Amino acid sequence: METETAATKPDRRYVMITAGAIIMAVILFYTLMTMLAPSKKMNSLKDEFGYKQDEKVKINDTIFTDSTYMSLFRELAFLKARTSIAETDSIYLTMNLADSGVTLEISGVTVARTKLARLSASKMFRERNSYVITSMLSKPFTISRNFASIPKEPLMIKMAPKDTSEYKPDIIPDTADYEPVNFIMEMDNGTVVYVYQEEKLNTGDGLHLFFFDLRYRMYDAWRNIKNVFTFRVPEYHPFIKVRLPRADAKIIYRALPEHGQIAVYR
Amino acid sequence: MENEPASDSRMIRDTRMKLLKWIVILLAALSLFFLFVYIIPSLQKIPGGKKVVITNSASLKKDPSYKKQIAQLNRDIQRLSRKYNSYTSGQSYIVINTTDNLFYLYRNKKLVREGHCSTGSFKMLKTEEGRSWIFKTPKGKFTIQGKQTNPAWRRPDWAFVEEGLPVPERQDDPSRYEYGVLGDYALALGDGYLIHGTIYKRFLGMPVTHGCVRLNDEDLKAIFNTLSIGSKVYIF
Repeated sequence: METETAATKPDRRYVMITAGAIIMAVILFYTLMTMLAPSKKMNSLKDEFGYKQDEKVKINDTIFTDSTYMSLFRELAFLKARTSIAETDSIYLTMNLADSGVTLEISGVTVARTKLARLSASKMFRERNSYVITSMLSKPFTISRNFASIPKEPLMIKMAPKDTSEYKPDIIPDTADYEPVNFIMEMDNGTVVYVYQEEKLNTGDGLHLFFFDLRYRMYDAWRNIKNVFTFRVPEYHPFIKVRLPRADAKIIYRALPEHGQIAVYR
Repeated sequence: MENEPASDSRMIRDTRMKLLKWIVILLAALSLFFLFVYIIPSLQKIPGGKKVVITNSASLKKDPSYKKQIAQLNRDIQRLSRKYNSYTSGQSYIVINTTDNLFYLYRNKKLVREGHCSTGSFKMLKTEEGRSWIFKTPKGKFTIQGKQTNPAWRRPDWAFVEEGLPVPERQDDPSRYEYGVLGDYALALGDGYLIHGTIYKRFLGMPVTHGCVRLNDEDLKAIFNTLSIGSKVYIF
């Protein structure tokens, strides 16, 4: 018995140390791969939107450090994005990160307008004078996936009565029902737009937002884990996080089509 | 008997150790969870490369190619601005907000009237035979395709199904026609959708319709008189 105990203890310690080392290695590997993701994203953006010197019309690179040029370039990029969506007759959103204005438009006509109560964004969206990012913004973002705390269309199913005796007239809809409005839109270019309601109208709103945000973070982490353990660098998702008044957030989410578009100015 | 307190204290110690072990495991799992979900993602920073420093070099401004570039940008902006502004017609148009059931009437790009309306209820009516209808107001850009005074309502199949009545086979069956329920005017948006009046005025501001837009008599009259065939209707 004594020899058995003596043999088990070092074994267990060995297993513990090995397991600890493996876990540490996994964490390190995951962290390293995750940290590589932004560089990979920036490189792909540079390939797609970076300035390519035209052999015929050569441009002095210092032009990109000129405030007049960059300001006009930003304006043009926003106009290009808005014009290309306006041609589609669809409902779309414009976000002006510079003056915090958000508008819902249809074919160039502003149908609703609101102000961002709070804004935070990835560093790349804060860097106003980057040629690459401004070029990227000249193409509208298209929603590829929505996550929301409210349904896009609040459908209610009603079975038809078999005859007049079963018929009951509709009751007045309950407009007092309350549900917090938070939604996340994943864009085709990898950007994630978070729209959370500004007000905490009910006591559970803060907790609801925490769990809503946590669910998305878990989904994102799981996606990254799957990539990392198949030895692929996970995709970096630049973000724009905004807080809007609840009523406006609800209007925007319900109005935007499933694969709606957004034009961003910064 | 003498060994009893010793074995008791050993049991307590074992239990404590087990509990401590589980607490450590739980804390480790939680730390890992927060590491993967919060900490590692927050370490990601997009490398901006060299931060662009605005120099506004005076020599650059004298460069002819710089002036050419600025002129080209200005031309492009003007061209696109003109194109963009041309989408907003100077004509009268109406904007309908289906989430809050409100309407906004514009003339020469100025808001001239606003008020409550009723839009689609988002009810899905289903029959046992498998037929179904969704009562929602379509969203997007529409044009007024027709205007009518004293309109009669030709009840579609769902209006009979909803009340448990037999559906008349013929589309022009007299039982399909109802008079006075759509108010004094109707403006057609296409596909059977109308902007019309209502006898259920207490429901204005609520999502209760089968897809049409209902208004009160005064608003309907103002809209009927302001909009013409071809006027734009923006529904969101």
